[in-house]
Amino acid sequence: MIESRAPASGPAPSTGATTLLALAGAAVVWVLLLGPLITLAAHLSVGSVVRALGQPGALQPLVVSVLASLVALAVILLLGTPLAYLMARDRLPFTRVWEVGVILPLLTPPLVVGLLLVFMVGPATPIGTALSHLNLSATNTFLALVIAEIYESVPYYVIGAAAAFATVDPELEQTAALLGDGRWRAWRRVTFPLAAPGLASALAVTWARAMGAFGAVLIIAYHPVGLPLQIWTTLQETGLTTALPYALVLLVVALPLPIAAYLWSARARRRL
Amino acid sequence: MLAADFEVRRRSFTVKLDLQVAAAEQVALLGRSGAGKSTALDAIAGLLPLDWGRIALDGNVLSTARPKSIVPPGRRGVGLLRQNPGLFPHLSVLDNIRYPPGTTIASAVAAAERMGLSSLLNARPRALSGGEAQRAALARALQVRARLVCLDEPFTSLDRPLARQLLEMVRGELQTSGTAALLVTHHLDEAQAFADRLIVLEGGTVLQAGDPRDVVLRPVAPAVAELVGYRGWLRCGLRRMAIHPELARPLVEPVPESALAGVVVGGRPQGARFELEVEAGGGWDGRFHCVVDEPAAPGTAVQFGDAGVRIFDDDRGPIDG
Repeated sequence: MIESRAPASGPAPSTGATTLLALAGAAVVWVLLLGPLITLAAHLSVGSVVRALGQPGALQPLVVSVLASLVALAVILLLGTPLAYLMARDRLPFTRVWEVGVILPLLTPPLVVGLLLVFMVGPATPIGTALSHLNLSATNTFLALVIAEIYESVPYYVIGAAAAFATVDPELEQTAALLGDGRWRAWRRVTFPLAAPGLASALAVTWARAMGAFGAVLIIAYHPVGLPLQIWTTLQETGLTTALPYALVLLVVALPLPIAAYLWSARARRRL
Repeated sequence: MLAADFEVRRRSFTVKLDLQVAAAEQVALLGRSGAGKSTALDAIAGLLPLDWGRIALDGNVLSTARPKSIVPPGRRGVGLLRQNPGLFPHLSVLDNIRYPPGTTIASAVAAAERMGLSSLLNARPRALSGGEAQRAALARALQVRARLVCLDEPFTSLDRPLARQLLEMVRGELQTSGTAALLVTHHLDEAQAFADRLIVLEGGTVLQAGDPRDVVLRPVAPAVAELVGYRGWLRCGLRRMAIHPELARPLVEPVPESALAGVVVGGRPQGARFELEVEAGGGWDGRFHCVVDEPAAPGTAVQFGDAGVRIFDDDRGPIDG
């Protein structure tokens, strides 16, 4: 890039200088991206974290967030994996329509998703009424939190998983079938292991999105309070310094899985 | 054993095949690219549904068009080896060979040994050469214990001597186990090296079937003649004559009525022999080649007997015996 922008009349920069410039640029981007994390570390002392999280019930939002995200992730895996596979194999009628359907929640602002969810599963709606017969409600409940998290994160999984499945040569599945595997067995022994690195990446991003879901959650699941909402309310009520320890907790819980998944998938890809 | 009489319609052509293969028989399907050879094998292996007819193996119906039914690929007793070895990249060579359900480690190791892969058991497929990958795929395909093995140009991407060596290896393995085989190829020499019977396909239908040497000596259609090595197409009105450069021999003694006469116009060495270029006479228009033991000077008159010379009447078929 740098070379191509050099004026044609001037001397071409040496490769060494170009590399150095590129490295410097990369370093700036890296520091800027990590800046917020560095700032967070700079503004927190061990004492303040212990004080904030040591109060009774302070860790409750963490438990709520982890449980809701786990349930959301399980639902997404269960429903999203077959959909992603069928999309990748072009086995669905009107593929584009399905794709648009998957991407829409991603394109819609989360707050709007929340509002629309109220109109879809709120108490006065047919779904809401049906849920009430089962003694369930999809507003301001754990169920509502799970639903909001699913809507905010499912596109990341389906799109990533479909891309992962698309990298698996369908002829290998055919070969497995020729060697005696049924469709499910071939999927389990060939398709899944070959797509696994990509699936892991998709799952990692989805987990981070579900843990951090806020917009739709704010509208339909104000209670029970998860970590993102806890950060926001603490910020509103008592200010930045008391909100920061929760931000740290959210990062500590949300990040290790994606990072581990990323590292594993990078290693698995290299081995193929 | 295999009784297949079926039709499969593809976008650009229809394959219509009536094919019987006896137990332990080795048959070659010879045809140009797009002749429908691979489609035929895919249908027999159960990867494609039939549009008409049925396929049965040892009396068990495997595929029928009406009602549309198809026994899944792995349960038909039919193996398929393709040009692309299709090794699973996440598994070692050994795990690839023992992939078919029911394969024991011992039989996989033995198969790898026979294919000369003993030192590569733990290697990943990406570390293998083309020939090694194809041998591993072959060892794996043979673990299925199919009664019929379909070979879809499995060695086409390899260099010819290696391809030939592997083909002989497969032939040996299949003969030892008494397995029938269908080899698809567009190389006559591969077909002849492998098969007891040759079937020539063109445009999805059988043009000729029979003993491989018979097909070469007496091709029934211009397309067959071309596939089995006839060249030098001469014209005389609506008739066409094809000459097989190696079968057509100049007569030592001139005769009053020969099948073909001409004059040598050039020549060059071919291996230990010589290839002459001959200008046809006797009403035939064009030049052709023939391979002889001794060179002949330009201007030499030559005559040919019936061997290696076929006359076709306006593409409808041969008009001579």
